[in-house]
This record gives sequence, structure tokens and C-alpha cells, in this order.
Amino acid sequence: MPPLRYSISISLLAAAVIAFELGLMQVFSITQWYHFAYMAISVAMLGFGAAGTFLALFEKQLTARFEQVFPLLLFLCSMAMPVVGVLAQHSSVRFDTYLLFNDIRQAGRLLATYLLFFIPFFLAALAIGLSFVRFSREIGRLYFADLLGSGLGGLFGIGLMWWVFPGELPGLTALLPLIGGVVALRRPWDKRWWMIALATGITAAAIIFRPPRLQPSQYKSLSKALLLPEAAVELERSSPYGLIQVVSSPALRYAPALSLNYTGKVPVRKVLFNNGEWAGAIVPKPEPGSPHILDFTAGALAFRLQSPKKVLALQSGTGERAAQALAHGVPSITMVEENPVATALLREELAGETDSLVFHPAITVRELEGRTFLMADTGMYSLIFLPMASTFGGTAGLNAMQEQYLMTKEAFRDMWARLEPGGMISISTWMDYPLRNPLKILATLVEALAAEGADAPRRHLIGIRSWGAATFILKKSPVSGREVDATRAFCREMGFDPFLLPGLTEEERQRYNQLQDTLFFSRVDSILSPAREIFYQNYDFNVRPATDERPYFSQFLRWESLPALARQWGSRNLPFMEIGYLIVWLTFFQILAIALALIILPLFRIGFRSRARGWSLFYFGSLGLGFMFVEILLIQQFTLFLGKPIFATAATLSGLLIASGAGSWYSSRWGAASRKLWMAPLLIAVLLAVYAGIALPVLYHAIGLAPAAKLALFLLLIAPLGFLMGMPFPLGIRYLSEKAREEIPWAWGVNGYFSVISTALATIIAAELGFSWAIALAGAAYTLAGIASILKMSRQGQP
Amino acid sequence: MVKDQIANRGVQDEATLKAMRTVPRHLFVPESQRSRAYDDGPLPIGYGQTISQPYIVGYMTAAIDPGPGSKVLEIGAGSGYQAAVLAEIVDKVYTIEIVEELAKQAKGRLRELGYDNVQVKQGDGYYGWKEHAPFDAIVVTAAAEFVPPPLIEQLKPGGIMIIPVGSPFMVQTLMLVEKKGGQTKTKSLFPVRFVPFTRE
Repeated sequence: MPPLRYSISISLLAAAVIAFELGLMQVFSITQWYHFAYMAISVAMLGFGAAGTFLALFEKQLTARFEQVFPLLLFLCSMAMPVVGVLAQHSSVRFDTYLLFNDIRQAGRLLATYLLFFIPFFLAALAIGLSFVRFSREIGRLYFADLLGSGLGGLFGIGLMWWVFPGELPGLTALLPLIGGVVALRRPWDKRWWMIALATGITAAAIIFRPPRLQPSQYKSLSKALLLPEAAVELERSSPYGLIQVVSSPALRYAPALSLNYTGKVPVRKVLFNNGEWAGAIVPKPEPGSPHILDFTAGALAFRLQSPKKVLALQSGTGERAAQALAHGVPSITMVEENPVATALLREELAGETDSLVFHPAITVRELEGRTFLMADTGMYSLIFLPMASTFGGTAGLNAMQEQYLMTKEAFRDMWARLEPGGMISISTWMDYPLRNPLKILATLVEALAAEGADAPRRHLIGIRSWGAATFILKKSPVSGREVDATRAFCREMGFDPFLLPGLTEEERQRYNQLQDTLFFSRVDSILSPAREIFYQNYDFNVRPATDERPYFSQFLRWESLPALARQWGSRNLPFMEIGYLIVWLTFFQILAIALALIILPLFRIGFRSRARGWSLFYFGSLGLGFMFVEILLIQQFTLFLGKPIFATAATLSGLLIASGAGSWYSSRWGAASRKLWMAPLLIAVLLAVYAGIALPVLYHAIGLAPAAKLALFLLLIAPLGFLMGMPFPLGIRYLSEKAREEIPWAWGVNGYFSVISTALATIIAAELGFSWAIALAGAAYTLAGIASILKMSRQGQP
Repeated sequence: MVKDQIANRGVQDEATLKAMRTVPRHLFVPESQRSRAYDDGPLPIGYGQTISQPYIVGYMTAAIDPGPGSKVLEIGAGSGYQAAVLAEIVDKVYTIEIVEELAKQAKGRLRELGYDNVQVKQGDGYYGWKEHAPFDAIVVTAAAEFVPPPLIEQLKPGGIMIIPVGSPFMVQTLMLVEKKGGQTKTKSLFPVRFVPFTRE
């Protein structure tokens, strides 16, 4: 039985690892872009895999001096966490995403950053793995301590983000392994241990009190805004939703795709940035009767067609649309925004700047994910506003792998259901080139209309275009002749062009704003034709509507078009069109290569053949794949159910890990060659099938429940699955401890490497095939682990 | 550079090509970048700004059809290179740079190189340069999410503006704005980027 102090140390260390990883994801989102969050996950898991390789090579030397090595690793890990955070911000190491494609030295810096952050994860994993090897027969309790710590670490990390700025996080998380190291020391202490603990504590304290300044990429919107004269960050608020900063400058203005016929002043605005990216302008409530500057943009068309009585603004951000609706005298406006910090600022510090917009009696604010709100709400609206569908000039695929449940076909059907007769949905997008966003929005609207049984989609749709943006109006009843006239009059007044309107002539489509690619119009017509499927298949980009099954609206890349696109645009320009999805694939291949190399490497020393090599590979590899797949997929599914992404992430992560810890503890009662070795993974596979077929679809119908009931339902679902998922790993390790003890470090490494691979693979499968396939593959992985065990045990006469 | 990167890609305006041959581009880039001054791409000049790819400078210059006697306003002086190219062709160039340090550097550099027909000021390009308006052409080298109304106002009837629209360092579209017969019309030309999109 391992002394209790080791279990406590492992819990503290595991908690620190998860909290550090979450902090690192936040740091990458601020300094670079969110898709580097994958890098944080992969570097962490790679640390775990590499620790397995290291253990496989040096197990004897390390276990022989366990009592010294274990606490030393904790102290080193504690020291490394804050130190690597500081070093990564040094100008000689800091990399920039956009320069990666122009300057080869940036690749070296990226590698240096990767290696720096690898160190604390490697040290932590080595300590955990070493304890598993040393006490392999009692693995159930240690694994429980590990998972319990990880689960609580998730809550700790996310909780900390409300209180401290991201730069301070590594210093605080470092305190956990420091305490863990102290706890693990055998009494009485040697003087040298005192010195080491003191040095570690001083390092952490230094970073807590003097955290490194996070330097965002010079190409982020915030960096550009701060270059303006007298630009200043007036307000900062840190939370798990990101680092919100309010910037002011006398040269900061807001008038997206403003009509060229506007002759008034474009007022100076304070701007809100989240993780260095534009999150909205602070717009004061307009004077009664005076026009709103957004009335001179294509998005104002809805107000020219009707005088809506009930407006719903989804992802309402800083309330720009709500302010515009107020200026039009709308008596009831519902703002739905998932970021509670943004709405808190509107209520508190920015209340004066917005003339107390959110306190206006006509306005109701709901803090929820837009889609979750739609599914739970029962109100009816005359106008639903969606946020701008793309960042200016095309997203370059930066959001390619972010689930956007508000932009799926099903979401538009939900909106349709919330429309009063004659009600409208208004959505705008920048005109990107090559054309992607406007075409995908139109395709989504058309497919939603078709699903609702609208016989002629053209009769329900209006599309107009300014010099830079397009606005679509989807109307529940057919567009009337009066509305057609109103659209034409609005376009004439503003210098805009209609491109989708009943009775439109070809000449009207480019009267004021000529396009470089007039194929836009024929593509619009193709999407409206019954043969649109052929267009989806032949177009260079994926403009087929996103669905709840594959909610990646901004994923436009089609692999089969790559050679043609490379010929047309030049291969070095491709990353700038679809960088997000490419990075996920590049990460995947890079991880796969490293993982395979490091799985094979130790075999040259410990031998390719052994009593359980094949079984270890299949069993622990499958568990690594399966566990991470389930974890990632559940986070995605519960985000929609709970409607608060950060809360869903924390609850799923912690719920699953703590339940797994309990399962691990429970499994300690079973013998090393128990039948549970194959039964547990097979039972998980069955449970996953039940979840995919019954439980998860039921969730959609339960979205409207009260928060407490939703939480109870969530726990009811996650607890049994997590409990079972905690069993196979310790059962496998215990089996090896009896049958092939020397195999344990390598098997632990295999598990780590397959976990790394699965982080990128789960996203790729969800994007390419859909969530159902990803769940099916998770089930297949567990089935494989079960079958491998049946075969292994039957060969040894222990079925 | 001029023959391979600019003329061969379709910029045929003789005055523009001659100006691009004359202006010493290497003197407009930081010392550390001089060896790459004539490469086919943009280069960083500090403060998050770049000197545009030679082809883009040539294309934008030719697009406004500059000639002797013209008065041109440039928004976003950067290193001063675009202003120097324009100054080789037109009578008077007014250029505004919002980053104080870059404005200072561009002013000094253009003076040293003898471009007396260029005036540089540090300020917010949004307001244009009312004292010297109206202009025959306006060249905006910094990406914008809207076209500032004062710039349209300061454009002569029949004047042309070329402006990259789109957020900085994302995909932008070069757009031509023409003020004719009391109407303002636009024409999207082609997308540009930090590394420009050029059909190959």
C-alpha cells in the first residue's frame, strides 16, 4: 500500500497540471489565436507520453531512488511552471502565427515555445508515472488520486481565472506541486530539501508578484488599435471567457461597411476586445428621433421593411443592434449574450458610456449561448438579428474549428419557429474573396426553408450588398410588393445593390458596386435552384450548410479542391484562406509522427517482443483514444445543453474525471486477472451506444428545464459513464503488474500518446464525418480494448 | 524587380514603371531588411506596419492614372515609399501617417532624398487634409472597415480613390471609388493580403 502522502501529492500535482494547461490555453488565445489552444493540449499529452518513454528506458534507476526522485520531480515541476511562462514571453522566443509563413526563424521560435511548455508537463507526468510503476499493484487508489486531482484542478483553474490575470496563473498553480513535494518528503527532512523547497517557493512568489506581461501578436486587432494616437486600455477584466479590455483613442471609430452616401461624422468609440480580438464598439443610446449610424449600413434593411415590435438580438455583444432597435422605437428588445463579463460591463463600468442601455425598460438581457436560448425560449419575435457572420474580409479560417451552433440549419429552423407571421431574420456578412461566407449563409437559409416546407425559397428571401458587406433577410411570409419597392428605395438611397429580390433585373445587381468576380450572382442562383446539390459538390469550398451534427460553419476547406486552389492562387497563399483547419491537420500529423517515433524508440532498448506487448498497445492505445474522444465530445454536447461554454467545460471535465476516479477506486477490489478487464471496456462501449442513440438526443428536449433540473440530469448522465471509464486503466496496469511488470512504463506512454493523437483526431472526425461517427469511434476503441483483453485472457486460460 | 514583378503581371503604365525604376526602395526599408528590399513581397518596417509588395505599389499607382499637374493625397505614409513613387509622377503629394515615429522617419527620409514635392504630417487620416483639398486622387494604403466621409468629400468630381478594404492583415480587397455625376460608385479590383493574392 503506498503511503497516503503520495496520494495527496499526486492529487495536488494532477490538479496543477490541469490548471496550468487551462491557463496555457488562455495565454495562447491572448497572445496568438484560439486554435493554439490545441497546442496546449497536445504539448501536455506529449509530456505524458514522453514520460512513459523515459520511464521505459530508465525505470530501474528511477524506482530504486523513488523517495528522493518523486519529491524532486514535484519541486522541479513547480519551479518550471512559472519560469517557462516567463521565458516564452522573451523576445527571442516569442513567435507570431502570421510570420510563420514568411519567416523560417519563426518556426524555430514555435518549436522553442513548444519545448519550453513541454518541460513542466514532462516532469509532472514522470512523477505520476513513476508512482504508478512503483505501486502498480495498488494502482486503483493512486489513479483515483490522479483523477480526483485532475477533476478538482479543472474547477480550480477555471475558478482562478475569475480572480487573477492569465500571466499570474502559472505562479499560483506552481504552489500545488510545491505543497505536494513537501507532503511527499519523508521525515525528518534533510537540510538540502529545505533549500530546494525554499528556492521553489521564492520562484513561484516572484512570478505571482511580478507576472510576465503577455504580448499579443502584433497582428491582432488590439495591437493595431493600441498603435493609434493616445490609445489606452481603460479597463481590463479577466475571466474564463477571456481577457476583456476596453480601449479608447480619439482615432478609434466604428462604422462597418458604411454607405458612401453618408456625409455625417463617424463618431469616436471605445472598443471592447476579448483576447485581443474585436468584440464590439461601445455605442451610446441614440437621441430620440436621430438616425443611428448603423442605419447607413446594409444591415438596416429590416427596419426599412417593417416597424418591428419585438426584436431578438442573438450574440448581442456590446448591444449595438439593441441600441439601433431602440432608436427605431422598438418596444421590446431581448439581448442574448453568452459572455457574462461583457454584459456585466454594460451594467456597471460602461453603463455611463452606453447611457444605461441595458437598463432601458424595453430591453431584457439573457446571459446564455444563443442557440440554447432559442431552444429553451417560447417567445415570438417580429425580427431576429444575428451577429456579423464573418470577421472583416474573410476569416482566413481562423474560426474554422469552433463549433457554432447558432449557424446550423437546425438553428435557423429554431429561429423560424420563433418568428411571428410576417417576421424576419436578418443576417449580415462581409463579402469575402474567394466567396465563402455569403454563399454558405444563403445555402443554410435555403435548406432551412426547404426543411420547413417553403415551396419557393426565392419568395421568402432578400439579399442586398454594399461595397463590402451583404445582408440577407429571411421572411416567414412571402416578400410583398411593397417590401420589394422599399428594398429598391433603400438601395438607391444608400448606394447599395440588391442581388436577391423578387422581380430583380440583372442590371440592378451591380449598379453601384461592381464585383471583381461576377460569378457570385450565378452561384447565388445555383443555390436557389433545385439542383443546388451539384453546386455544393463542385464548388471549390465547402459551402454546404453546417448542421448540429457538424457545427463548423467556418470550415470551408475541401481537400479535393486543394490542387486547383493552389494552381489558381499560389500554394503559399492557401494557409491565409483556411489557416484554422490546416493547423489542426498539421498538428495531427506532427503529433502522430512524434508519438509513433517515441512509442517505437524504447523498444530498441527493452525489446520488440514480450509477453504482453501487442495487448498493451491495443488495450492502452484504445483507452487513450476512447477516453479523450468521450471527454471532448461530451464537452461539445453539454455546451449546447447547459448554454454556458465555460461552465459546461468545467462541469464535464471535473464531473467525468471525479467519477472516473471513483470508478478507479472501486476497481481496486478486483484481482489482477479479473474478467472486468474485458467487461469494463465493453460495458463502456454499450453505454456509449445508449448515449448516442437515446440519452444525447433526449438532452435536446430537456434544454428548457430549470437550471437545477438540468444540472441533475447532467450529473445523472455523466456519473455512470465516468465511473465505468475510470476502471479499465487501473485494471490493465494491475494485470501487467502480475503478468509483465516491465511493460508498465511503455504501456503508460502508449496511453499518453494515443490521448494526444485523439485530441486532434476527435475534432477532425467531427468536422469530416460528424459527431455520431466520433462517438461511434470512441465506442469502437473501447470495444477493441475489450476484445484484445478477451483474446489475451483466453490464450492464458482465463476468459 | 520592375520587369519581372510588375510589368509582367500586367501593370503597363509607363509613368508608374519609370517611377518604380527610379525610387531606391532599399532606402525605405530598415537596415536589417535591405538585402530583401527588392524581393517580391512586403517587408516589416516596425510598429506592426509593412512596406507593401512592389507589385501592389505599382498597381495602386497605375490604378489612379497619375499624371503631371495632379495633386494626390496618401493616407498611411508608412516608410514614405508610395509617396516617393507618386512624387516622381505628379506635382504634389500630401501624405498622412498616424504613427508618430513612422511619420518622423518618412519625413526625414523623403527630405534627404530630395522629394520636395511631398508634404508629410502626423495625424488621423480620417479627416484627410482639408487645407489642400480637393484632390485628383487619394491613395489609402492602410486597410479600413469604412471609407471616411471626409475623404470622399475631399475628392474632386471625377476623382478616383483606391483603398484596401478589410481588417488589417486579413484578406483585403483593393477597391476603386469613383465620384462621378453626383454619385459615388465602387469597383472591387482584387484581393490582397499580407502576402498578396496574385493569380499565377
